[in-house]
Amino acid sequence: MDDLQFRRAIYADPNNQDEETIAAQQQDPSKKQFAQEICQLDEKIKQALQVPVPDDLYNKLILRQTLATHQVQKRKTRVHLALAASVAIVGGLVLNFMQFSSAYSNLGDYALAHVYHEQGSFANNATSQVTLTSLNKKMAAFDGNFNKSLGKLLFADYCRFDGMKSLHLVYQGKTSPVTVFVVPKNEQLRFNADFNDKQLFGSSLQFSNSNIIVVADKNESLGQWQQSISDTVNWSI
Amino acid sequence: MMTKQVRYEALVKALHGDLYRYAYWLCHEKQVAEDLVQETFLRAWRALDSLKDEKAAKSWLITILRRENARRFERKRFDMSEYEEATITDTLSVTTEQQLENHWLREKISQLPPEYSEPLILQVLGGFSGEDIAAMLDLNKNTVMTRLFRARNQLKEALEAEPVKRGMYNG
Repeated sequence: MDDLQFRRAIYADPNNQDEETIAAQQQDPSKKQFAQEICQLDEKIKQALQVPVPDDLYNKLILRQTLATHQVQKRKTRVHLALAASVAIVGGLVLNFMQFSSAYSNLGDYALAHVYHEQGSFANNATSQVTLTSLNKKMAAFDGNFNKSLGKLLFADYCRFDGMKSLHLVYQGKTSPVTVFVVPKNEQLRFNADFNDKQLFGSSLQFSNSNIIVVADKNESLGQWQQSISDTVNWSI
Repeated sequence: MMTKQVRYEALVKALHGDLYRYAYWLCHEKQVAEDLVQETFLRAWRALDSLKDEKAAKSWLITILRRENARRFERKRFDMSEYEEATITDTLSVTTEQQLENHWLREKISQLPPEYSEPLILQVLGGFSGEDIAAMLDLNKNTVMTRLFRARNQLKEALEAEPVKRGMYNG
């Protein structure tokens, strides 16, 4: 190992434990002395580098971390609370939507479903009869009245028509009861003038504040029913 | 949670001195060094789970600190070059021979270009090997060794050129 190499190695790392440098030191006393000098220099450098550390630095570091942790936890609980609140609101909305929104998008579908649902309750040849007066009393809720009877009225009462208060009338028909709904106007259900399925068909009449829907089986003449309803119903303003 | 706290406290206790000194030699200002150390340990706390090997803690912290120091320069560049760095620490108030020498040497070290002083500090103060320093500073090992050689060489020359009497003489 030549002198330059040796010096470089010692300068770069005075505590060099390389076999070559150790061997070189043992062979040459001047090299050994040089290494010792540099070691001493390094010791001095080490001494000089030991700047005093502020006494309270340790405590400050712990304090700072404790405060930061505390803040993070506070923020976390706030986030959790906000999350819980959001979930609750969304849950509420979904529930609301499911409960109160209609499964039917138009008047016809709902009217048919309603009629099928109550089909068993009305017999075409039932003996009960509702008078025109009591019918008109009920019609008053819709600001309307019939000036004469449309036929044998078997049943008349308020019922829920997709969540709206409406009047449900059942007249005697040729083969099966004819159902008439008086429904306040509503934007949720699309108006459709004519609708039908395999058994029943129906039509709707639009008036200023209400719709009147007639549902009957295929033996009835809906046109005739519509005509007589238009003729007999009066709306008070 | 508790174990993390314990780990952190142990880490701070064991290494805050070394880290502070390292920061001090990076920026030559007590207050800035303290801020750097605080910022570093705060980051270390947040990322403590990623520290798997406790032996690597020191170089890990130094890496964080260096990044933090670089960030300080991104934020705003202090006009440091104008200011005479010779007056960095006041150890002259109580002076023994040893302290005077330390003070003088400190000046010399702080006058070294940072690319020379940094590996030297890492080696002497941190006890890192050439390979470790190369990895930390993102340099190759030969470059690190050359810089260490030049740093010591410059200090030695400065020492040899040193006047026999030094210190302050008034009047």
